[in-house]
Amino acid sequence: MNEDNQDRMKRLLQQAVPPVNGNSEPRRDLWPAMLRRMDAQPAARALTGWAWFDGALAFGLLGLAAFFPASIPLLLYYL
Amino acid sequence: MNTHPYLRAYLAGIFVPTLVMPLLLTVFIVVRIVLKVPVPIEQGMIFPMAIVPSLFGLWNMLWLGSHESTHLPIGLHGAVLPLLMAPTGALVATCLGVLALGSHGATWFQACEIPYALIAPFFVGALAGYYLVWKYIVGFLNRVLGIA
Repeated sequence: MNEDNQDRMKRLLQQAVPPVNGNSEPRRDLWPAMLRRMDAQPAARALTGWAWFDGALAFGLLGLAAFFPASIPLLLYYL
Repeated sequence: MNTHPYLRAYLAGIFVPTLVMPLLLTVFIVVRIVLKVPVPIEQGMIFPMAIVPSLFGLWNMLWLGSHESTHLPIGLHGAVLPLLMAPTGALVATCLGVLALGSHGATWFQACEIPYALIAPFFVGALAGYYLVWKYIVGFLNRVLGIA
């Protein structure tokens, strides 16, 4: 690669990649967004109120398997 | 990690059937080869080994592609799958001679007869099982793989 090609390549690269300023800090304060995300966590945990329903389903499933063992190979067939 | 989300969804979907498959193979080896029980369970292995894993993977890909518009929780999405799989599995089993439909009930492997009255609770059990598997296992894997 001769010098002309190197210069051309350098110019193309400079055009393609935007220059990084000396001040590389984010344009906006990210901490409020982080706080919002942390506040959203308890709301997600509130969904675990469904845990009793899921537990009842699991117990029902175990009961079905216990009273009707023929259901076990049938369920495994579909898994 | 935003590359290949559908591949990750497929892999998360096939996780559970892939775990169950060695269990079925063990049962097959013990029953058919060790105990030499004259029940043709190898024909019944085709559906769980060849079709179920792919269906799980594709179903999870469908959830990934549709949940932004439907907002359907993954547990409910998974609980819909037996509605598709039960007739498909019964059809495959009937074609392979694994399932025979009689006047009083369905006979599996020419040995296990299940009265029609029990089909409904078994189906509800399948819905519950799928709901739990999809909510807690596939949902967890989707979160781990960064697609949920």
